[in-house]
Amino acid sequence: MPTITVHRADLERLLDEPFEADRFEAQLALVKGELDDVDPETGEMRVELNDTNRPDLWCVEGITRQIGIHLQKKTSDYAFLQQPETPTREIKVDAGLAEVRPYIAACIARGVTVDDRLLTQLIQTQEKVCDVFGRKRKGVAIGIYSAEKLAFPLHYEAVSPGESQFVPLGLDEPLSLEQIVQVHPKGREYGPIVENHGRWPLLRDDAGVVLSFPPVINSSTVGEVQVGDKELFLEVTGTNLRQVVLAINLLATNMADWGATIEPVRVCFAEETEFGREVTTPRPLHRQVTVPLDDFNKALGEDTAVDDVVAALSAYGYQAEATSDGVVASVPSYRDDILHPVDVIEDYAISRGYDSFEAAMPSDFTVGSLDPLERLSDTVREQLAGMGFQEVLSNILVGREELTDLMELHGASLVSVSNVMTASYGVLRNAILPSLLRVERESANAGYPHPLFEVGEVAIPTADDPMGSETRMHLSAMMAHAEANFSEMAARLEMLCYYLGWEHQIEPTDHASYIPGRAARITIAGWEVGLIGEISPEVLENWGITVPCVALEINLSAIPE
Amino acid sequence: MTLSEDVDSLVESLHPLEVTVINQLSSQRETADTALLEGSDLDAARRDMACGWLTEKQVIECVRETVRSVVRLAETGESYALKGTPEARIVALLKRGDEVSLGELATTLELEQAEVGTAVGALRKSAVITTGSGGLLELVPGADLSAVEGVTGLIATVHEAGSIDQDDLTDDQQKLLSGLYRKRGKSKGVFRVDEHRSRSYQLTRLGDAVAGRVRDRVPTEEIGQLTPEMLADGSWKEKSFRRYNISLRPPRVGVGRKHPYRAYLDRVKAKMVAMGFSQMKSPLVQNEFWNNDALFMPQFHPARDIHDAYFVAEPRHSAPIPEPFYSNVAAAHADGGNTGSIGWNYNFREMQARRLVLRSQGTADSAHKLADGADVPGKYFSIARCFRYDQVDATHAPDFFQVEGIVLGDDINFRTLLGLLKMFAKELARATEVKFLPAYFPFTEPSVEMHVKHPTLGWMELGGAGLLRPEVTQPLGVDVPVIAWGLGLDRMAMVALGIHDIRDLFSSDLGMIRSMRIPQ
Repeated sequence: MPTITVHRADLERLLDEPFEADRFEAQLALVKGELDDVDPETGEMRVELNDTNRPDLWCVEGITRQIGIHLQKKTSDYAFLQQPETPTREIKVDAGLAEVRPYIAACIARGVTVDDRLLTQLIQTQEKVCDVFGRKRKGVAIGIYSAEKLAFPLHYEAVSPGESQFVPLGLDEPLSLEQIVQVHPKGREYGPIVENHGRWPLLRDDAGVVLSFPPVINSSTVGEVQVGDKELFLEVTGTNLRQVVLAINLLATNMADWGATIEPVRVCFAEETEFGREVTTPRPLHRQVTVPLDDFNKALGEDTAVDDVVAALSAYGYQAEATSDGVVASVPSYRDDILHPVDVIEDYAISRGYDSFEAAMPSDFTVGSLDPLERLSDTVREQLAGMGFQEVLSNILVGREELTDLMELHGASLVSVSNVMTASYGVLRNAILPSLLRVERESANAGYPHPLFEVGEVAIPTADDPMGSETRMHLSAMMAHAEANFSEMAARLEMLCYYLGWEHQIEPTDHASYIPGRAARITIAGWEVGLIGEISPEVLENWGITVPCVALEINLSAIPE
Repeated sequence: MTLSEDVDSLVESLHPLEVTVINQLSSQRETADTALLEGSDLDAARRDMACGWLTEKQVIECVRETVRSVVRLAETGESYALKGTPEARIVALLKRGDEVSLGELATTLELEQAEVGTAVGALRKSAVITTGSGGLLELVPGADLSAVEGVTGLIATVHEAGSIDQDDLTDDQQKLLSGLYRKRGKSKGVFRVDEHRSRSYQLTRLGDAVAGRVRDRVPTEEIGQLTPEMLADGSWKEKSFRRYNISLRPPRVGVGRKHPYRAYLDRVKAKMVAMGFSQMKSPLVQNEFWNNDALFMPQFHPARDIHDAYFVAEPRHSAPIPEPFYSNVAAAHADGGNTGSIGWNYNFREMQARRLVLRSQGTADSAHKLADGADVPGKYFSIARCFRYDQVDATHAPDFFQVEGIVLGDDINFRTLLGLLKMFAKELARATEVKFLPAYFPFTEPSVEMHVKHPTLGWMELGGAGLLRPEVTQPLGVDVPVIAWGLGLDRMAMVALGIHDIRDLFSSDLGMIRSMRIPQ
């Protein structure tokens, strides 16, 4: 979720009244925001925005818009979002872009002189929208230019990577698109978005001056907004037309909030789109939702009055109208997050304030219970603790070596992670004993003896399981001290099985982790469930443990109820 | 109490070890602690224990303490004594005229690469060797070999003597030593320097009186340990019991107990059951379908990125997802299906849904429960081990527990959601003041974040909750409202356990585990 910096000066300029941090914080519930930090010296406030579907709120303009509407100081009524005007400027789109990045939307904002504050704001909004909403420019990328230098119509074209050249931002010499992707830092970062395609996007003006290579980098000639610019050209490219339009809508509303006049641009696509072949942007998204009053009542658990609903939705930026049995709510076109009537119901609740709802207890009676395996685990844990064992708790994600080489079990089959971050957390454990040996290795300074146990989950690769593995509940217990031996652990196993009513048997077996002749298979009610034995000196040496250890491990999931 | 009564009660409570020590001391002259061992059957540990007790009781006092540093060879030093130091061996090799490059040195001399690196570095720095043409190492003509030889000499001296007082070394030797020893750490050192403390004791005035009484005392037999034999034959009746000094703090012992964090989670479990919740469980390995898709998280959601979850290497995909869940969920994502939603408007990909991941959120358990047929009314909880692709640090463990659940019923709505959360606040955080704030979760609407005023921690976020979206419930065949909730209990648990690093919840240090109190 995005975190942005808001300047108190911007907040007050946009709301046209003094706004203390405390009052601001109280209003942040309206935008699902949290105030993380305030710097009283600079007036900078760090705000975390929790709604990942509301990119319009990831900037001071959007936050003040939502607050301002609620304070009845602002409206969501932007003429250019109501119905398309007739534009005088055009972008012509090449059919060859269909595969790589087919959509573009744009507008011109004039009448506001860019200053440092606005420039910082623009860059922050651009970054947040491209990174989070645009998924690191894959879905949506934004370019902003000084409009005065451009010769319209513009051309959004698919070109071959080796041909076209321009000077990218940050460099002094012209490079081909192919070279940019190889050598420019932004090229290396964002090049992969287009790399697999034969032809790449390029935006140029009618005089052939390159604006940018979307979504990678702007040109250094016209692609850099500067303090003092009075007329900006803003464009959004992407893979989904609705998202592209939403992004230009919210950029345009932001500029309008600073007092700019928005001049729309006509985009001429080579083929039909959901908004036609010629699309004027910004434009309305026409999202209208009908919500029966009964839906409000059921979801909120109280009887609402339609007038209250209409008033609260209007105070949240909707155009809402009462119908015979509910409301029709039109969503402002700088947001596109209303998927279902429940989204409108939440906005109503937020606009009214969560504090205005009286908490009530669910009246249905239910009987609580533990999972049977959990109950068994708890009983086993109580027994072991009663026998004097200290319970330990270990991570399940461990290093492969701990489960294999250190245990003298080379090449064991394990559930392993493909995107390993560090080798120490590369596989899910298939047994708990290694976790206990790790504790022993780290605890030579703790007073002896060390009777340890853990009950917990392990994962076993299982070809016929739908998920390819099975999660089991294991018990492992270990005694580490100078005279640890088989019979003392066998005695504890005997008592555990006796108390739990398990018919158990132990039969000699050979196992690489245990001393030959001092290891046994444990069967309970005829099911083979585990092992008991003295840990082999090789294994102890592998771990760097210098006291004898005797251990058992039992698969509790395999024990019949 | 008079001095005489004081002395009486002191004498009565003396431990035999203390008597042994007193009998060997005088108030007129000091006695070295080594001397205490000679005239008795005491060992050093018992002597130190007895002297400690007596000093505390002001019966004896320490009148002199000397610290002696004794130099011995560490393991590395012992091996150098036999084979020579790496520096000396390199110099010897080059003196012989052998041609060798840095890369070959380790193999030629059968040394560790790191040892060679350190040795060559030191030799270069002191201008004993240089790298000549072709990367071959060369001895600098007329180089000062005193340091290399000095170390060899010092090792030989210590090796012969076994141990040597640091004070007996020459200034030059001391200087050489300072770079080559370790006190106790694990790093490889050539020498080991141990500090030997020796103390001399003398009786105090009080001690003098006590000693006199001890010597004059009519030797009656005192009982130390009461034995079954004494009880059987009644012989205890003729004897007196030595008084123990029961004000001494006993040592800590290891006992059998649950892990304190598990004990905390047990209490949470008990609370959940008491509030009418039943436990859910699901596997550690999930496919993305149950981990994300069923929860209406679009397949392009940032939290599903390769950088946020752990993906399973083999097999990569689960078996096909059972119907009707697959088709229902796919439709809800694509265009809303019949949920009344417009959906996320993209092409739902089956193979991504079947991609196997380590469970990244406990809500996966809830999705399974809804699909498997949850009771209506029903309340469920899970304490699920979850995995996130995060750099492990003080606030991120490789895996951790999430406490989550669902509540189904005809009377479930936003107000009962708030009521349930208030109950959690009271029962699990002992908080009566709560604040509800709007929140965002992909699978709930409306969504709430609950902040509570914890009695010791102040205002803190306790958890998030909401009513499951119809795009979640309907595809899974549930047609009543459902609350989904999740609680963040780790911070409270960590405060209760007195730890500041989440990794310590899963500590492998038995000393630390034994020291943690039971969380209240």
